[in-house]
Amino acid sequence: MYSSTGNDGRLDNRQGRYFFLIMFLMTILLFILSFRLGYYDIPTKDVLKVLFAKIYPIKHTWPDEYEVIIINLRLPRIIAAMLVGAALSMAGAVYQGMFQNPLASPDILGVSSGAGFGAALAISMGLSYQYVQVSAFVFGLGVVGVAYSLAGRIRYGQIISLILAGAILGSLCSAGITLLKYLADTVDRLPAITFWLMGSLASVYFDELYIAIIPMMIGLVIIVVMRWRINVLTLGDEEARSLGINPRNIRLLVITGATLLSASAVCIAGIIGWIGLIVPHIIRYFTGPEYSRLIPGCLLGGAFFLLVVDNLARTLSTMEIPLGVLIAIVGAPFLLNLIIQEREW
Amino acid sequence: MLEVKNLSGGYRNKTIVKDISFCLKQGDILCLLGPNGCGKTTLFRLILGFLPAQGGVVLLRGVNIKNIKPRQLAQSIAYVPQAHHPTFAYRVIDVVLLGCLPHIAVVNMPTEQDKRRALAALSMLNIVHLANKKYTQISGGERQLILIARALCQQAAILVMDEPTANLDFANQQLILKTIKQLAAEGYTILISTHSPEHSFLLANKVLLMRKGASIAYGAPREALTSETLKNTYNIDMEIVNFTDNNNRCHYFCVPL
Repeated sequence: MYSSTGNDGRLDNRQGRYFFLIMFLMTILLFILSFRLGYYDIPTKDVLKVLFAKIYPIKHTWPDEYEVIIINLRLPRIIAAMLVGAALSMAGAVYQGMFQNPLASPDILGVSSGAGFGAALAISMGLSYQYVQVSAFVFGLGVVGVAYSLAGRIRYGQIISLILAGAILGSLCSAGITLLKYLADTVDRLPAITFWLMGSLASVYFDELYIAIIPMMIGLVIIVVMRWRINVLTLGDEEARSLGINPRNIRLLVITGATLLSASAVCIAGIIGWIGLIVPHIIRYFTGPEYSRLIPGCLLGGAFFLLVVDNLARTLSTMEIPLGVLIAIVGAPFLLNLIIQEREW
Repeated sequence: MLEVKNLSGGYRNKTIVKDISFCLKQGDILCLLGPNGCGKTTLFRLILGFLPAQGGVVLLRGVNIKNIKPRQLAQSIAYVPQAHHPTFAYRVIDVVLLGCLPHIAVVNMPTEQDKRRALAALSMLNIVHLANKKYTQISGGERQLILIARALCQQAAILVMDEPTANLDFANQQLILKTIKQLAAEGYTILISTHSPEHSFLLANKVLLMRKGASIAYGAPREALTSETLKNTYNIDMEIVNFTDNNNRCHYFCVPL
């Protein structure tokens, strides 16, 4: 599947279009089928009716508890999985291009570590869940902001400086998290911090989605609108400038977009690793590395991938399997395979 | 077209390029010669507006480039970097399409017309068949041609090429030289740096020799390139020999002694 024979036609535009069509239909299908999964089985016909009734009033022919389960329990979780998957995949794709490094992940500038620290801080202060989310978001954004401004004072190139500043602040936040866990009350707060850091979509309700959705949409619009220009960043600064572009301006804009995406994803679902690294690679196989196709591909593919994984997480056993664990189990062999095949990115 | 007057510049308080002057008309090819570290790249950066001049001016059609916005400058001067091996396996056509950047508004995407322009640039260099190939899987000479095509797609009248023949095998070097000559014949003004003094006999109508950031000689190759100026530039003894072939064409060579 991952042969590098070159003209295998995958770069052909027409095939790209088929890919988007198939991906779109598969995502819709999975979206509907996901409502059927869970302890309480609901027929597909009723799933469709309940969903349709929300858009257009139709005759009420289903039991009331169906509506509660579909709309209040399963819908937020399904939407959250799709949003978080899309956001992290897009952010990962952006950073891989910007840092000209196929192994960059959305966390490269410290957004998850910062958000994790913010959440741990709020939990150990005993604040309510909404504040935990806000604190995670603010710290995630803050760490990237500080990393960006610190990078301006480091006397290497901007790319290296950003990676260094991100790594330093990230490890500082990890140290902070460890300290907070060490000091936390072991009866309820330590488990709460640990669960938050593991990442999960189990406790997502609409209230949490509302907080995160606006910054996420702003980030999404920035990245989608700028997607063709992200290509320029993979060329290096000198070439970008010769094309009349100031790479620093584009980089700032794109970092802002990617950080809004990943910070709001973290604030919905906690820290979910790997997905931002893996999905762009899978999508690149179908669309090629060109960003005006890769970004929409990651939007659809990331939504699809995390929905699949989350469905597995909630149905494989009677107990929820932590998402991070499941993604790593799926992702590690996959990534290893890519490396062994020495495929071009 | 492009006039450089007493240009000096460099980084922070270090001046690398000192008092360089030359003037290019449409269709001119200027060869820039000099040892490594003599300031060729810095001179290019000054001309492309990446670095501010510390003294002197660069005039584009009589206008100081200091007063031209980067986007507009990119519509007139294109930079052709050395062929490199990119991180991602882009399609050739997508690489060329990036040349349209200075002509597309910030939030817009390239249109069908831009794609046609990119294809036209490829066909101008007779490499349209490469359009759907992966940029990582073509030869070094082809990659250099692709970067020239990107500059053509940029629709700039002046091409600045940084050692376009470096790292290429003999046949590919000839291909690039031929291409450069053709482009000049079609009206492009070309500024290239090279490490082969002979290339200036082959293609340039002007040559500038540099050492330690200063100009050693400037003029038509047969006048400016002498064993004396080459000695002053490279600090080795060289002689220029010529040879007339059976078709009565005269070829010039630089021979180290």
